[in-house]
Amino acid sequence: MTSTRTVSRLSRILALIPYVLERESVEVDDVLDRFGYSHEQLTRDLNTVFVCGLPGYGPGDLMEAYIDDEEVVIDAADYFVRAPRLTPTEALGLLAAGMTVIGMGESTPALESAVRKLSKAIIPEASSALVVDVLDESDNVGVLREAAADQAVARITYRSIGKEKTTIRDVEPWAVFTTLGRWYMMGYCRLVEDQRTFRVDRIRDIEVLEETFARPKNVPDPGVGYTASEDDVVCVIDLFTKARWVLEYYPVEVVRESSRSTRIRFSAPDPELPARLLLRLGENARLVRGNEVAARVREIGANLLDSHQ
Amino acid sequence: MQNVIERVLNLLIYLLESTTPVTADDVRYTVHGYDDQSDEAFHRMFERDKDVLRRLGVPLKRQAMDAWEVDYGYSVDPDEYALPDPGLNQEERVALSLAARIVRLGGSHAGLDALLKLGGIERSVGLEPLGADLGAEAETLGAVFSAVTERRSLDFKYRGHNRRLNPFGMAHRRGHWYVVGETEAGERIYRVDRIEGISVSEEAGTFIKPRGFDVRSMMDVQPWETGPGPEVEARVRFDPDVAWWAARTLGLDEPKTDLLATVPVANHDAFIGWILSFGKSAEVLEPPELRAEIRGRVKAALETLP
Repeated sequence: MTSTRTVSRLSRILALIPYVLERESVEVDDVLDRFGYSHEQLTRDLNTVFVCGLPGYGPGDLMEAYIDDEEVVIDAADYFVRAPRLTPTEALGLLAAGMTVIGMGESTPALESAVRKLSKAIIPEASSALVVDVLDESDNVGVLREAAADQAVARITYRSIGKEKTTIRDVEPWAVFTTLGRWYMMGYCRLVEDQRTFRVDRIRDIEVLEETFARPKNVPDPGVGYTASEDDVVCVIDLFTKARWVLEYYPVEVVRESSRSTRIRFSAPDPELPARLLLRLGENARLVRGNEVAARVREIGANLLDSHQ
Repeated sequence: MQNVIERVLNLLIYLLESTTPVTADDVRYTVHGYDDQSDEAFHRMFERDKDVLRRLGVPLKRQAMDAWEVDYGYSVDPDEYALPDPGLNQEERVALSLAARIVRLGGSHAGLDALLKLGGIERSVGLEPLGADLGAEAETLGAVFSAVTERRSLDFKYRGHNRRLNPFGMAHRRGHWYVVGETEAGERIYRVDRIEGISVSEEAGTFIKPRGFDVRSMMDVQPWETGPGPEVEARVRFDPDVAWWAARTLGLDEPKTDLLATVPVANHDAFIGWILSFGKSAEVLEPPELRAEIRGRVKAALETLP
């Protein structure tokens, strides 16, 4: 209906006014910093405030808002002396952010008391009603975070996801992050001489070296995606109803969907990953195309039948 | 957009300053920005602006002005509008600012939006290489959260079935948000990203949470620990190359060589799926029926091959 931009602009204005009203004097730079304004945006918003007010809309009815000698001045806006209440999403966002960082093992007394005060104001029984668990990899995450902050090279023993092979590689860690329930480290891998994202739970050992590196100025936004390459093994699989969860857990391409099954294209650097998936799915999936994958399913399958005789 | 912003600000001021509820007509002929509009254009604008107010967190109330419910009046209670001051000190604000920068809610920085209302975001020192995305669609999460905090019941569609839930709490675990509560059929857990067509009851305080209820108690399980049963104890051997990794999942000490683990299993399906994800590097030693189920699953997979 209405653009998110309109809502964010209004939200910022309604937050700015009480901040200025509450204080004796407010410097422009402080406002720019704290509310993420550019100078132009701030001027534009103050000009907007300046033409709004009570019905009648005469000189005495409008709010005052302007910049005077590097200070932000707002007056005659008593109705906006407090910011509006947090929306449920904002409240959850802030509370969950605090709880997440505590769960990461990065807690400080200030953060803990902040979360306590917030919970009390927002949801009195928060500790039993809201739980945020980030997967417990705190040892590795802590070490990698420190290495990234110090810009120190890390030597990791890593079991790669697609290739199922363990390698030792030197990595320049840029960022450590969690998404979809797993921890990742993004950085420059000296072994493959390219940017890579690693799953932290697949890192067996980390040794932080003395050597440092220069972190690139513009580190890409952390995100997890698998980008198919030319050497990939590609197979086509039909997923039946009970196997539809695969769509949520693997980066697959949906070829077509019917009420009975979903046909997907699965790319991986090695046939091992799709082969294990097919074994796991049993009768709930069917390989349509992919000779290398079929061969690997037969090989692992034969082995498993043998060992589970 | 400029006009919308001015109009909504004027509307909000009018609503905050009116001591009695105001009708749509009052708004139309009093508030600057609505004049000179056709009936239809006015109604479209007014609907849109009310939606903006709600999205800003303004508690807009609507009530019938007469017994026949012909006309409705709108009001905003200034006390309800105002954000209560949680009394954060400078150090706490810095800590929260850092946390809100690190953590995202499905692509949106909802925590930072909240901090603006609480007086802005504190500048942080140094580089922070840490990040977290808690996923899920922020609007649905917000609806569920408001239902939890205000004790409102929820109606939604889940895997094609209509559900009514009294939500007791929420949890983020293994990358997904869950809502935990009670239905007519007993205590239930739902994954928030699978919820469709959610609606929150108008009335608040419609249920009482059981004393001592703790979300954690309903969530603290591996996927194979709860299920249709029968529960068995599985003995599994993991090869040295995967032993450390399996040990971490099971919460065991990291072994020097291979790992022999005893695992309680109620959901055979989930457990076999997990074991097979190790390929030939894991072997179930006991009980025989689980070994048979693994053979069955492997044979089924082999039979589907082209």
